[in-house]
Parts: sequence; structure tokens; C-alpha cells
Amino acid sequence: MRVVIAEDSVLLREGLTRLLTDRGHEVVAGVGDGDALIKTITDLDGRGMLPDVVVADVRMPPTHTDEGVRAAVQLRKTHPGVGVLVLSQYVEERYATELLAGSSRGVGYLLKDRVAEVREFVDAVVRVAEGGTALDPEVVAQLLGRSRKQDVLAGLTPREREVLGLMAEGRTNSAIAKQLVVSDGAVEKHVSNIFLKLGLSPSEGDHRRVLAVLTYLNS
Amino acid sequence: MATEYGEGYGFHAQPGHPGSAGERRHRLPAALRAPVEGRTWRELGYVLLSLPISILLFTYAVTMVSLGAGLLVTFLGVPVLAAALAGCRGLGAMERARARGLLRLDVGEPEPLRAGRNGLMGWVGAVLKSGASWRSLLYAVLQLPWAVVTFSVTVTFWSLGWSLLTYPLWFWVYPVYGGQDGLQLYGDETHQVYLDNPFEITVTAGVGLLFTLATPWIVRALTMVDRLMVHGLLGPSRLATRVVELESDRGVVVDTAAADLRRIERDLHDGAQARLVALAMDLGLAKEKLREDPQVAAQMVDEAHGEVKTALQELRDLARGIHPAVLTDRGLDAALSSVASRCTVPVQVEVDLAQRPAPAIEGIAYFTASELLQNISKHSRATWAAVEVWRSENRLMLQVVDNGVGGADTSQGSGLAGLAERLDAVDGILVVDSPAGGPTRVTAELPWRAEQAR
Repeated sequence: MRVVIAEDSVLLREGLTRLLTDRGHEVVAGVGDGDALIKTITDLDGRGMLPDVVVADVRMPPTHTDEGVRAAVQLRKTHPGVGVLVLSQYVEERYATELLAGSSRGVGYLLKDRVAEVREFVDAVVRVAEGGTALDPEVVAQLLGRSRKQDVLAGLTPREREVLGLMAEGRTNSAIAKQLVVSDGAVEKHVSNIFLKLGLSPSEGDHRRVLAVLTYLNS
Repeated sequence: MATEYGEGYGFHAQPGHPGSAGERRHRLPAALRAPVEGRTWRELGYVLLSLPISILLFTYAVTMVSLGAGLLVTFLGVPVLAAALAGCRGLGAMERARARGLLRLDVGEPEPLRAGRNGLMGWVGAVLKSGASWRSLLYAVLQLPWAVVTFSVTVTFWSLGWSLLTYPLWFWVYPVYGGQDGLQLYGDETHQVYLDNPFEITVTAGVGLLFTLATPWIVRALTMVDRLMVHGLLGPSRLATRVVELESDRGVVVDTAAADLRRIERDLHDGAQARLVALAMDLGLAKEKLREDPQVAAQMVDEAHGEVKTALQELRDLARGIHPAVLTDRGLDAALSSVASRCTVPVQVEVDLAQRPAPAIEGIAYFTASELLQNISKHSRATWAAVEVWRSENRLMLQVVDNGVGGADTSQGSGLAGLAERLDAVDGILVVDSPAGGPTRVTAELPWRAEQAR
């Protein structure tokens, strides 16, 4: 997997590079701000060497606000094939909504703290690189908590809510089964129950499923 | 009550007096120049205009107010009265403009109406309750008698002066057309005195000159009263001026507080938080490595240990930057000594206070001193510095001196400008004396507020 890292703190940039290299991935470039990220990707594209995934910090110079998110949104428009994983010190459901606008293909939004769980973090990067979704459990919790469909959500069993949360994070059925230590069949049953209760048509593919859930929660 | 600090430093220019700095040098002495000066003509114009305008004002005010008062028994009275007052305010604005144009007297707008409710009744209430409205009314009424006085005095003096001064030029009119020898100075049935010989004519012209020379000063003295009236009755009240000042101060306080919070958040985000994330990452990696490669894992744990120590250091510095514990516990002397010890140049600290000031004042004094010392460390190239704190009556004085290169910049946007703004927000001031080449002497003056019993 080929990765570009955009992070203004040298300490963290080096840490991420070490972490990903250690797992056998290639970090092709490390930049410190949003404009440099866009420029690097355009350059790489010109040479036909687009990376699989970009890992970007939300807050970068010059304004230290949401450069990362804006660059990510732009990249998703210009280079839909490149996965974008946005890291942030704080989780803002609004940023997630902006990132997920339109499609949940190859997009991720994680709290920076998640890098501590090296294996899970790298899994998330890989998932995004492969076109999947990785949403931070906190974002999902915010979405679930903020959703105006509370009465419908209240109709779900605790287990179903758990499965819904993991689904929204972008996990596959088998990943959910592993996490909850149940059989794949049991998860499938929960998922179809959830779709039934929420009145959503069961969709094919993981990312469309995530999108359906998020759209539902946001509407 | 308004506290006025720093007048001695020339910080507050008196309003309403034209600056003398811009005045040109003249060859003629002021006394001889005065009758033909632009200023005199403007003041004359003001006085001449005053009479018709004051008649208008007076008529308007008296008519409208009596109408309103007469109608008070009906529901129309109060709105008519309010309209009368609002009209007076409008005329007041006109008068301020006239004073600005002709007397060069710059008087600010009075405090705006503060309507408690929307709609007509809210407006009526606001107009009636506003002191500025009633003061405009008073002005409209008082202006007339005074304008009559100034007008008659001025016109008499001015016309008498110029006509007597020019008497040698037109005295021939009397024998030719008037049937007498000259201007009659005195006359009864038996005895008449005419100004007709050259000596008398010269004396007459001399008297005229005296009158002409005196007129500008008389007019100036008379318009002084007009200035006072416009300033006192049509301008903002002292209280309103103070309120405006306090509102702006409060804005600065809120802005500074917000800026401080942003700075703290940034420091946390870029410093300790980033370090801890890196640390978590290192430890996460070490945990994974523990089984397969214990040696590498040990090295990683070692690095992480170093990271933790740095993070702790950063957190400690940050906490001290927010509020040093020693300041709360031991006061300015101890806190400033601690700052001084971290300065790159030797600093002599002398705090001469019998009593501790209020915590807010103490905090501002502390931050002022520590920021100034930081500046010294960074920019001054000094080899020696001193901090002195003492109390002078109702002020807390702080002085930081260094023997560095000087040239400290107080222009907009510099650190010192920010410091000055902060001090201003608590009615303090900052005086910077920093010639190029040094030495630099920065004096901060804060209002003294004693510590409340804790």
C-alpha cells in the first residue's frame, strides 16, 4: 500500500511513517499543510504514481482550523480513486458529514488517539485504501445521539444498536461478527432486522450500506 | 467615577481645542493680526448666524413644548412633547455642525436613544427619558438671550470700530451732504463739539483702531460661552463618555480572554497533546513488538519514557503560563524572581509593596513583567536588566529596564501594543522609552486595588 501523510507536527508525521513502514507499507511523501498535499497528489498523478491512500490531519497551517478536511473534500472530488483518512484531535460530526457528502467510498475519519491501537489503526488505513469506510466510534456515537430519529432508534435492541454502530464505522459483517464474538449468520440476521426497522432497503456492498445508515441518521 | 491616568504623559488631548501645532508662524504679532484672521471672520460669522438661528430654535422649542404641555391632558401630549424633544436633538446636531465648521469645536454625538421596546411608545419613552434630549431643549431656550447679547455687542463693537477707523476717509461727507462740520461728539442747545480738525480726526481713527483690535478678543470671549454651551449641552455627558470607554475596554478584555484561550488551546494541541499521541503510538508499537522482538520493544519503551518527560515539562510550562501557583501563594516578589531566574540575562528584582494588590491587578502586573522579560531575552541583547515594582498613591507602578539595543516597537500589532491594550482595559497605561541604541525603560501604571479579604 502506498501512503501520503499530511501532518504539520513533525513528531507525529515521523511516528506515522514509522508505524506504517513497520507494517510493510510505503510512505511516498510527507507534507505539512493542505496546499502542499494537493500539490503533491497532483504531481504524483502527473507521473502516474497516485497513492492508494492519504492520511491527513485536520488542523494544519496556515490557519490551523480545518485545512485537512477541505483538502480531503477537494481530493475526493478530483481523485476519487484515492482513499482519504482524516485524523483529528477532536471529533466533529460536522466534518464527518462534509467528508461523507455524496459517497462513503474510500473515506475515513478517526480520532488521533486511535493510532495507539496500532493494529486497528493500520487496518483502518488499509480499509480506506481499498475503498472501504472507517469512522471513529465517537463520530458514530455523535451521529446516533444527534439523530432526529431517536424514537425509531429506541425500537432497536441493544445488540442491534451495537451492530448499527459498527456498521456505521464501516465494518464488514465478518468484522462485526469477530468483534462481537458471534457467528456471521447472527450478524446478518441483526443487519436485516435493523434495515427492516429503519425502513431501509438492504443494499449491496459495505460502503453503500454505511452510506444508507449515515443518510438515515443525518436526515 | 472616571479615573484619569496618564494625563501627564499627554495621552488625553483635551477635546474641542484646535491643535496649535499646525499653526503657521506669522510676522505680525497676534494682536494686530487678529482683526483680519480667518478665525475672527469665522467667529464673527458664527455670532451673526446665532441670532436668526436662536430665534428659530427658541420659537420652535417654546411652541412645541407648550403645545405638548397643553395637550398633556389628552393622549396626544406625550408624543408631541417627544417629537419636540426629538426635533431639539436634530437641531442640536445642526448646531454641533455649525460649531464644528465655524468655531472648530469638535463635539461628539450624545448617547443614542435606547428604546426599551419597539414601536412608537418605546421611542417616545426613550426620547423622554434621555437626558441628552432635555439638554438640547435647554440649549434651544438658552441660546436666544445669549445670542441677543453677543449679537448686539459684536455688531456694535465691530461696526463702530471699523467706521471710526476709516473716519479720515469719509469725514468729508458731513460738510458736503450733512450740513455740519463733522461727526457730532457732543451737543446741547448752546454748545456743540464736532470732530473736524486733523488732530480730532486722527484721534477718532485711533479710537477706531483700538475698537477694531479689541473686537476679535471680545468676540472670542463671547463665543467661549457658546463653546461651553455646545460642549456641555449638546455633547455626550461625562457618564456617557465613560460608558463608551468602558464598553470598548470590556471588548478588549473579552478579546484578550478569547485570544488567551485560543493560545492555550493551540499550545496544548501542538505541544502536550501531540506528544502524548506520539507516545501512545510508540507504546502501541512497542506492545506489538514485545513478543517478536523484545530488544526493539525495550528501545521503544525507552524512547517513550523520554517522550513522557518532555510532555510533562511542556504541561508544566503551559500551566505556569496560565497562572503560576507561586503568584497566588507568595505574591509578586516570589513570582517575578522565578520569572527573572528563567530570563537569559541577569535580572535584579525589587518589589516594594507593603500590601498585596488585588489578584487581577497582580496577575496583569506579573504578565506584563514576564512578557517584557521575555522580550529582553529574545530581542534586546542586553547584559543586565532590572524589574521594579512599587506603589505610588493609588497606582501600582512597574518598571522594567535593560541595557540592550533599544528600539522597542509599540506600533500596531507588536507585542508591546498588545500589552498596552491589556493595561488600558483596566485603566492602566504603558509608557515605552526605547531610543535606538538603548537603554530601554518600560513603565506600566496600574490602578491600585487592595486585596479583598480571602
